[in-house]
Amino acid sequence: MLGYTLKRIAQLLVTMLGVVTLVFFALRLIPGDAASALAGENVSASAMERMRDEMGLNEPLWFQFFDYMRGIVTLDFGNTIATNLPVADMILKALPITLIISVITIILTVLISIPLGTLAAYMAHKGKKALDNAITWCAMVVDLMPTFWTALLLLLLLSLGLGLFPASGKVTLDDPELLLKRIAIPIIVMSLSQIATLARITRTAVLEVLNEDYVRTARSLGMSEIVVVFRHALKNAALPIVTVVGLSFGNLLNGTVIVEFIFTLPGIGTLLVNGINSRDYTLVQTLILFYAFLFVAINFLTDLVYKKIDPRVQF
Amino acid sequence: MGIRRWGLTLLMVLLVVIVAACGSNKNAVTNEPASATEGSTVTPGAEPPVEEKILRVRFYDDPAGFDPTNIFRIENENIAFNIFSGLTTYESESGKIIPDLAESWETTDNKTWIFNLRKGVQWQGGYGEFTAADVLYTYNRNIDPATASPYASDLANVKSMEAVDDYTVKIELNEPDGNFLHIVANYHQGQIVKKEAIEAAGDQVKFLPVGTGPYAMESIDVNSEIVLVRHEDYYQGPAPISKIIFSIIKDESTATIALQNGEVDVIMRSNKEENLEALKAAGFKMNTVSNYAKSLRVFNLEDPILKDVRVRQALAHAVDYDAIAKAVVPNLSVGTKTMLLDWMDVYTDDVPKYEYDPEKAKLLLAEAGYPDGFTMTQLGTSASGINDQSQLEIEYLSKIGVTLEFELVDTPTYNQRRNAGEFMSAGRLLPAVNPDMILFSFLHPDNKSPGGLNGARYDNPVLTEKLEAARAEVDEAKRMELYAEVQKIAAADLPYLPTYASNVFWPSKENVEGIVINKLAQVNFFGVDIK
Repeated sequence: MLGYTLKRIAQLLVTMLGVVTLVFFALRLIPGDAASALAGENVSASAMERMRDEMGLNEPLWFQFFDYMRGIVTLDFGNTIATNLPVADMILKALPITLIISVITIILTVLISIPLGTLAAYMAHKGKKALDNAITWCAMVVDLMPTFWTALLLLLLLSLGLGLFPASGKVTLDDPELLLKRIAIPIIVMSLSQIATLARITRTAVLEVLNEDYVRTARSLGMSEIVVVFRHALKNAALPIVTVVGLSFGNLLNGTVIVEFIFTLPGIGTLLVNGINSRDYTLVQTLILFYAFLFVAINFLTDLVYKKIDPRVQF
Repeated sequence: MGIRRWGLTLLMVLLVVIVAACGSNKNAVTNEPASATEGSTVTPGAEPPVEEKILRVRFYDDPAGFDPTNIFRIENENIAFNIFSGLTTYESESGKIIPDLAESWETTDNKTWIFNLRKGVQWQGGYGEFTAADVLYTYNRNIDPATASPYASDLANVKSMEAVDDYTVKIELNEPDGNFLHIVANYHQGQIVKKEAIEAAGDQVKFLPVGTGPYAMESIDVNSEIVLVRHEDYYQGPAPISKIIFSIIKDESTATIALQNGEVDVIMRSNKEENLEALKAAGFKMNTVSNYAKSLRVFNLEDPILKDVRVRQALAHAVDYDAIAKAVVPNLSVGTKTMLLDWMDVYTDDVPKYEYDPEKAKLLLAEAGYPDGFTMTQLGTSASGINDQSQLEIEYLSKIGVTLEFELVDTPTYNQRRNAGEFMSAGRLLPAVNPDMILFSFLHPDNKSPGGLNGARYDNPVLTEKLEAARAEVDEAKRMELYAEVQKIAAADLPYLPTYASNVFWPSKENVEGIVINKLAQVNFFGVDIK
């Protein structure tokens, strides 16, 4: 186990080094830079050139690269090019919001979609097509609804119509109650599509297992349906479900740009998109580095859960 | 069993929500105004206490900093406009230059300018009294290459500056400039900063602005809000509202709902037709300024087809921009036939105009040697995309055999290619305010891209001569005459085709008074009050 962990950490470092190098050069291949993005319509080329000097964009590329790498090793990620704010601070400030939303969303998703998917599978297994169809069909519709549309509908209903939650306002960690009200609609929006996806995966996985011999054996031993479905069927169907939960969680942590935009949530998805649009190389590089770390870490955790669920899994 | 029952309960709640959401959809789209009034009565929002008036304003993007030397984008400029002052400023209604920190000025030849400064003006944050030294520091800072200000070129004509005494500034120009009062106005390079405050702010100077204007920066959270408090020692007296909270709401629909919910009092720039209609129907105040900025089509005159003036005129005759605007964005836009805006002092309406006439367009095309038309590629940004107006333009042009194709790239790429001349036709939004700056930068050959804004690469020696003469002319009537001739020649040569003039809306609650959007599309909050 220790050997495995060390191996994974080594892999993590190599992956991140590769990602950083690739992103560093790929970013600079895109036409336009921070100066041209910031200057917009009406700035002359000589003025632009002065801005480039100021932003350090006229340094040789290899110099910029080694400067950045040296920074990473000492955990100094530099300042944003346009606004001169420390990148690490910006990410650390955006992260808690994204983290809170992601964790609540994923908990809601697991609590709702797994019973739902299991129920659908059980009904299908028992030949009661009506409820199964209803759940499957609903999940499909919700899954296919575009996020911006769902968000607008929920805003109109829950904020404007019922006045339950505000549509705007400061997002601050100082006041948990206010924060929860402020992020309630985004969480519902994001949960809806996650629930739909995971419920369908769960249904398929559980249905397959319900047709296995050992389920019939369990029944013949006189076990209750609950025990059969949850202990025998669901547990054995857990591997694909865990994989999808892991991936969903990773995606949620990356921040959902559209939801963050609509609700003006200062999460890290918005940070990345703003960074790309303003060609803020330092910000984008550091965020991508962070994403790489996150994904490798989540994959590692998922693997550990596999081992826990299914002792046959060998590393 | 417990877990399952709980899951089921949650599921039921969720289903109800989904069904309700779907059901409300129809109502929401067709009956928006009705539900809007309902919403605003359900949540009236917290009323500010009588002694302290707080105005909450929707701000539509992440703030990018408020240091005048390198400020960008209109929403940031609007904040700076309320924090800083210039020697002159713009009167909100008329767009005319009026005194600000300078009480009066003198010039005999448009070359030597003497400004008599207002006495007793106090800086925000206890930085003392404003004097001539602050003016010199500001302009020198903007000119200094180390500052890398994009607005340094606006001050390039300054030969020397001198503080005659604490309240008199004398500026000597290299070439006469009859429009110099625009250069020293409360805008970009003209906004006066305080040396001590700039130095105290260090590398955070973008977010720690200190000026002499009616409002001072209290706090800023770049992710959610900017808070301004009134400057109690403002030279015109304290503003009626004690605190302005700019709340960042990026999405237009969300902003509309926030106003209806009473979460904000004013929307800074509402720019979606459907939202404007909804708010109008719900009885909100539609503060607006019309004719704020012009959109131009830039023809690349180095293109083998577009270099023929007949082709450009044919394109102008082929499309009825006013009809398109009326059909698609009746609130936000109107068609236009002039480059300058009608409130500008040098504006003339007496220029060649190209009425909608497809037959004439076809004739002109045939004369130019393209009886069967050609394909024109328009470079655009993926952010603005191909909107409904463009779709109709494609229709119009197809009737004279011209195929309009779009090539969409992201904004930095777009700017780069447009500067480098790697396009056939492109768009441009004209900056408002200084008409001389517009004419000079878009029509003078010295300003050809990539060195300047003359993206069409236009060069007509006759026009250039008149343009230079206009700048030097001291006689006001002769100066206006020269500018009028410049506008005529430009409209005949048509390196840029004026297409639309836009209107700006700041919808507000009924009790918010005095929102006057000036010609820069900014609001001077000194004149705003809550009743």
